[in-house]
Amino acid sequence: MTRPTFAAISSVLVEKFKVDGALIEPATTLEQLGLDSLALMEFVFAVEDRFDVRIPEERLDPRQAGVTLEQLAVLIDEAAAARPGSDAAAA
Amino acid sequence: MPLPPSVRPGAPVALTGAGVVSPIGNTLAAFDAALFAGRSAVRAQALDLPGIELPPVPVASADFDAAAVEAPSRVPLDRATAMALAAARDAARAAGLAPGGFDPERLGIFWGSGMAGAATFEATCRTVYADRRRMRPTSVVTTMPNAPVAEIALAFAARGAALAYACACASSAVAIGEAMRAIRAGWIDVAIAGGSESMLTPGVLASWQAMRVLVPLGAAASDAAAVAACCRPFAAERNGFALGEAAAAYVLESPAHAAARGARTDAILAGYASNCDGVHITQPDASGQARAMIAALADAGLAASDIGYLNAHGTATTAGDAAEAESIARVFGPGGVPVSSTKAIHGHLLGAGGAVELLASLRALAAGCLPMNANTIEADPAFDLDLISRASRPSPDLRHALCSSFAFGGTNAVLIASRA
Repeated sequence: MTRPTFAAISSVLVEKFKVDGALIEPATTLEQLGLDSLALMEFVFAVEDRFDVRIPEERLDPRQAGVTLEQLAVLIDEAAAARPGSDAAAA
Repeated sequence: MPLPPSVRPGAPVALTGAGVVSPIGNTLAAFDAALFAGRSAVRAQALDLPGIELPPVPVASADFDAAAVEAPSRVPLDRATAMALAAARDAARAAGLAPGGFDPERLGIFWGSGMAGAATFEATCRTVYADRRRMRPTSVVTTMPNAPVAEIALAFAARGAALAYACACASSAVAIGEAMRAIRAGWIDVAIAGGSESMLTPGVLASWQAMRVLVPLGAAASDAAAVAACCRPFAAERNGFALGEAAAAYVLESPAHAAARGARTDAILAGYASNCDGVHITQPDASGQARAMIAALADAGLAASDIGYLNAHGTATTAGDAAEAESIARVFGPGGVPVSSTKAIHGHLLGAGGAVELLASLRALAAGCLPMNANTIEADPAFDLDLISRASRPSPDLRHALCSSFAFGGTNAVLIASRA
């Protein structure tokens, strides 16, 4: 997980979903954020849009208990690396 | 015309608070100022439709920041739903109706809208077909027809009822009337009722333009004063309306409930009737309109001669105004009641029209003054109408006002309000 990715996820949660900043730690699970299932889906969409990536459905079901913000950040980094034109994809 | 034998007067219901978001103001003071001065909010709007050249259309928009409205559901709000919430919260505040001050199981929300979510629906179509982007997970709950009533119900934790009425331009009059019936029947004690509409988006506006019911602006489109004066209800030279956006909400309650919580009664909702023409999808029918007015009078226990002001549906279309002038003459006799249409200044508010025009009627009762029918100097000589033209008319003895809404689809709804 990269620090900028986690910071960006945090800012989406605070600014768009009004989540208390004190709750936001890498080990925080999505269910601990206090968002309902619809808001969780919107949150994942918003993060994907921020990074211009798509996390494959089979890699993440945000309604699944126990998914942490750190895991989400790792998935974002992986998806960004796999994006056509990225340095990692070219390598 | 004789009274229908099936209709007996019903109990009056108290109106204890009102809220409005409209092209002519978002407070009662601003609303009154424009209403009685006949000050129009109609302006020209270009149609931004890529690849299609269409002339600008007349619209009346509200000065309203939808982004500032907090969504009880936390999902994105359609502009119309944001307006609905703002109006409902203002009505509740005016009525002193706050959580803890009523039994949530005895509170119902009754809301009218012709195309709730229209703006968001158009935006989602652009997302998919033009921008090639994906839909949001919240698209369904933002665009559904009962989104406004659902958000208001959440805001007030209503447990008694949350009902959405979609009957085009009669939607909010029907919602208010059905709330009144539910209170009379004892199903609930208190209701928040009204309507909202906001569809001033290019695709929707182009659809109305295609129906040829909007005033064609032609070369006058760049002349702001001419555009503001373009809608002329009941004039011989009338040629259509402007589309507007608005929301208006009321707190309705049984007189006993209002008295028990010490609420001030602003006015009485005395009568309501709705029926259907059953004749044509868009053509108005004078006999259906007359039947609705007569049934509402019977419901209020009033005679036609008791009505001191009639806020007409008055769309300024050739056929619409002719049918309505005929139905008014049938019920009230020639020149039998002072009439105005306020659509000249706030536009056709569609599903929100009945709720906003009821407010115009209530303000007339409160002020003892009949709002003018702006932009029309003389009524069409073919009509035998006492049209309130040129200026609003003092009427200190006004006690009862009737407000008509006649919809595409044939639904007619009539509300009668009385001074408290």
